[in-house]
Amino acid sequence: MAKVGSPSEERAGARGRVPSRHPEEGAAGAEGRFKTEEMILNVGPQHPATHGVFRLLATIDGEVLIDADPVIGYMHRGYEKLVEQRDYRQITNLVSRMDWLSGINNELPLALAVEKLMEIEVPPRAQYLRVILCEMNRILNHLMFFASFGAELGAITPTFYAFREREDIQRVMEATTGGRMHFGFFRPGGIKEDVPEGFVEGALAGVRQVIDRLPDYENLLVGNEIFKQRTIDIGILEEEAAYSYGVSGPIARGSGITMDVRKDEPYLVYDQFDFDVQSAPNGDCFDRFWVLIREVGESARIVEQAIEGLPPGPIMGKVPRVIQAPEGEVYVRCENPLGELGMYLVSDGDRRPYRLKIRTPSYSNVSALSYVLKNTYVSDMIAILGSFFFVLGDIDR
Amino acid sequence: MAQTQSLSRADEALERVKSALKETISEPKVNFGTVDLICEPGALVGVMTALRDSEGIECKFFGFLSAVDRSELGEGGGGLEVLIVVYSPVHFFSVAVHVPVAAAAPACPSVSGVYSGALWHERETHEMFGIVFEGHPQLSNLYLPEDFEGHPGLRSFKLPGRAVKDWPGAKDPEEAAAGGR
Repeated sequence: MAKVGSPSEERAGARGRVPSRHPEEGAAGAEGRFKTEEMILNVGPQHPATHGVFRLLATIDGEVLIDADPVIGYMHRGYEKLVEQRDYRQITNLVSRMDWLSGINNELPLALAVEKLMEIEVPPRAQYLRVILCEMNRILNHLMFFASFGAELGAITPTFYAFREREDIQRVMEATTGGRMHFGFFRPGGIKEDVPEGFVEGALAGVRQVIDRLPDYENLLVGNEIFKQRTIDIGILEEEAAYSYGVSGPIARGSGITMDVRKDEPYLVYDQFDFDVQSAPNGDCFDRFWVLIREVGESARIVEQAIEGLPPGPIMGKVPRVIQAPEGEVYVRCENPLGELGMYLVSDGDRRPYRLKIRTPSYSNVSALSYVLKNTYVSDMIAILGSFFFVLGDIDR
Repeated sequence: MAQTQSLSRADEALERVKSALKETISEPKVNFGTVDLICEPGALVGVMTALRDSEGIECKFFGFLSAVDRSELGEGGGGLEVLIVVYSPVHFFSVAVHVPVAAAAPACPSVSGVYSGALWHERETHEMFGIVFEGHPQLSNLYLPEDFEGHPGLRSFKLPGRAVKDWPGAKDPEEAAAGGR
């Protein structure tokens, strides 16, 4: 089944430093440490290391974080209440705005949930195009975090490279959907419209370029001594804790977990493609980043295969003009770029959902932050925050 | 193909869940590939622990915890319930646990001791639905100001804009055609 990679080769060159977790056992040993007074430090709400508005209430004792309490909610828009007043057509555009780095992936579970309740058959062409667009969006998202994680650790170069590659794929997405961030492209039953001329060539060129250049990018950070020093054995999240907190996506897979909804419970046509689940065993910042960058290559592989097998045909199933999901409830899980996005839809037969619970990946991922940050050094805080790859809009909904 | 595979997987899982939990749950069934069951608040912590630790189930992954207010869901719709979804990364199936709670003074034992991820989810559900999670270490508001009145998640809480006046124009082609404009 899922193949598990191992970054052991890349990790080899590191000079090994004191593990950041439980520093009292390391260099800053209990006896050797100065007694200092505890103080509370507010990090944020505006801080360049956070993608959005996020505050961290940190209790520090000298250089050690005794306690860290993430304060969220600066961007809470109340989508779960709002969607009860909107019909399914309108909700597509709302959920697109949750995680603004992966708009099109957000729209997918809603469409799937409605299709399940209404028993709509989605034509193969629409399914393939959905896969292609979702994976291209995943590449965009991961390249963004490749850029920002580098920048947070003081390396500005990845930003320029990542944005160059992003632009080529972004242009294809824009030509197809008309949007650069909020696409609003998936509908219950299929997709809004067929892809324009030049889509296949453009998408192929975009992902092949990424595949070609990926080894360089990987080396740029993963092979960098300073990067290793700042990430290896820093911010450790153990496998059991990751499960218990509901951490998913590349962050969980950096802790030795091989969970991936695309592989475990395939939706759309993911079971027809050959790709690996990347996972690394150590659960530190380095492994999380390693998984993230490796996943770019896997997504590019899926796009290539999907374009090769793209069937002709209609792009919309048989859908009534007014979409009214029949009574019932359904839970749909999808693998978003940052983890598992789940939607629990309760329908009473109306045009609007009776209740839509949105389980966003970043919310659960970030709830594990206070656990991971406990007893780490203040200087590692930004590396740990950055390695959790979260988007605030996705936390607050 | 993948669809039928996950369905048979869920049927097998249902049998295992039934034999592991026996009388502590009611109405176990498979709903769209998810094992669905009802559990009384008193038995909740035991049920969740069993779901996490029992061999053949091992739902170690915490999905989410929230609530559904079914009071306007028509006849027999039910009242307020806590909804927990957990997933088994070993056997690949989800379990949805419905916990009916009293609408007058809703209370439910906290499962944060079983799943750490429930800490935030319970805080959110507490402020949005007014459900008290007994045993939660810090049940303060996550999103709303502390002096906020009401619980926005409940159906009886109307959005201010809607409570004052309805949307002025037609919202659908049908209404517009019928002169709703």
